[in-house]
Amino acid sequence: MITPFQVAYKNLHRKRMRSFLTLIGISLSAWVLVSLLGFNHGYETSLNKDIDNMGFQMMIMAKGCPYEAATMMLKGGTGLKYMKESIINEVTKEPEVEKTTPIFMAAVFDPNKGESGGVAAYFGVEPKTFNEMKPFLKFRQGGWFKDENAYEAVMGYEAAELEQREVGDMILMPDKNVEFKVVGILARTGTQDDGTIFVPIKTAQKIFGKPDEITTLGIKVKKDVDATRFEEKLYQLPDVQVVSLAQVKDTIMKLVSTAKVMVLSIALIAILIAMVGVINTILTSVWERFQEIGILKTIGAMPWDIFKLIWIETLILCTTGGVLGILLALGLSRVTDLVIRHVLPYAPSGGLVLIDTKLILITLVTILSIGLLGGLYPAWKAGRIRPLEAIRGEVGR
Amino acid sequence: MQAIRKELNPFKFSNLLFLICIKGFWGLVIITLTGYTAAWGAVGCDLNDPDRDVKRLFPESTGYKTHYVSIDRKGGEPLLTKVETRLGDKFRGIYETIDVPYTIYEIFTHKKKIGYIHGVNEKGQFGGIQVFLSLDLEGRIKAFYIQKMTSKYAGKLRDISFGRQFHGLTIKDFELYDVITGKAIGKVEAIKNPAPEAEIDFRATLRATKKNLVLIDQFIYLPQGSSNQGGS
Repeated sequence: MITPFQVAYKNLHRKRMRSFLTLIGISLSAWVLVSLLGFNHGYETSLNKDIDNMGFQMMIMAKGCPYEAATMMLKGGTGLKYMKESIINEVTKEPEVEKTTPIFMAAVFDPNKGESGGVAAYFGVEPKTFNEMKPFLKFRQGGWFKDENAYEAVMGYEAAELEQREVGDMILMPDKNVEFKVVGILARTGTQDDGTIFVPIKTAQKIFGKPDEITTLGIKVKKDVDATRFEEKLYQLPDVQVVSLAQVKDTIMKLVSTAKVMVLSIALIAILIAMVGVINTILTSVWERFQEIGILKTIGAMPWDIFKLIWIETLILCTTGGVLGILLALGLSRVTDLVIRHVLPYAPSGGLVLIDTKLILITLVTILSIGLLGGLYPAWKAGRIRPLEAIRGEVGR
Repeated sequence: MQAIRKELNPFKFSNLLFLICIKGFWGLVIITLTGYTAAWGAVGCDLNDPDRDVKRLFPESTGYKTHYVSIDRKGGEPLLTKVETRLGDKFRGIYETIDVPYTIYEIFTHKKKIGYIHGVNEKGQFGGIQVFLSLDLEGRIKAFYIQKMTSKYAGKLRDISFGRQFHGLTIKDFELYDVITGKAIGKVEAIKNPAPEAEIDFRATLRATKKNLVLIDQFIYLPQGSSNQGGS
């Protein structure tokens, strides 16, 4: 015996082009919706990961550095100011502090990088405290330098790739003409560390003639500490400014949320247009089969049977379109990622579009709910057709 | 899916459109996935600013197309052996590998193809060296450009006068150059090192040039039938 699903499928198949175009409309809407929700989820996750991977929740730097200092650090930029090393003791003695690590950043101009030269950034770090702050850093080759005064370097994955360096090779700090022996190459982290060259902090201070100065002090606070209150406390220190990475995250998220609201609005409009398409397709199909439905009723079909038949057609269209859209979003998530990365002024490392099972289910349920709601009217209209009038082809046309 | 396929007559426009879309979708997924793999593979060598650099290296150009090739995809292990034999040296280290993606810029004057630009990475004494060559359709070097070099004497090796010594040379000239011993015969022998203190980087530059010419010969000139790039 033929099932209502088979009848509904055959009805859709009779008008292939129309059904196909409706499917395209639904799948495009589902694609936009999944990608957008995936972006919402992925961006925040990647940003959190980037900030967590910095290993510390707060940074102290010299007053006068722009607020975007955190972004500058993420990008390994220039325009740096220095503060006295004595600040390390002042901060470390605070009861809220779990760990600190001093960083000495320096940028040198390399005239032989590209047509007009480029900037190479170096991070002077204390291997012990830095490693404690970032225990997740793994080595592809070698390990950390042991001596704070050594002329040795640890290279991030991409920095080593660009310079074609392996452990045991030498590197040259442009401008200063100082040679370092590569003792370690980090595994890829997907963060700013990949492009960084780390050298011992004392060596860096000596080379740049700033023996008791640092650029940044990374602070990790104890778990139960009120970060906002501690931040205010740190502001009591002279000539420094505190950058809380939670603040940085909030600011970035606020900027991105404006763009997200706009795209969400477009996605909603796309879904509504697709749903109008579904109603139009089903309604047209009902009008075309006016007499046929009349005959079905004459041979015993109840209004509910007709209603069910028409509603199943909507169900098939929405489910297939929704699934196709989700597959499209999954298949093209990398492309979407690249496009978003190109458009946004700042994008964290890692995947920007994160599509998980929960998100897929939410999208499918949304598409189905709106679709089935849209299918109510045509199905109800079909259920109300009077058999004899329909066979005569007089009413409702 | 089988049922749908059975009922679809490909000669009907609507069915054809449906099939194209389904196949196109999967094609796109495959391209995306393979692109993803390539993006995380070994490091390639691109021009920093192709629009500006192409015009500078090929002043008569009006446009260019970019192609990505790798030994891995073009011919695998047999091709690698061929390249190594012609280079006269094995690929070394963790960066000079079979899966390195090479960027080839195909250069046009309006619709007419006039040559190629191709760059390679080479391990220098203190850092990576990026050597780009612009070549005419016969494989003669038109311009020589070191995009990046870390050396105390990089300025001398990146100087235009050093690059000019390579103009007009072809793979035939470099086939006589031994990248291991640094011994050269003929035109390559005439190339003067402007910084004798940087002998290692000078020889790395010559190795990069030979590697560049061998690779583009294998990727472009040999498949086109203009074997070994005439010239000399």
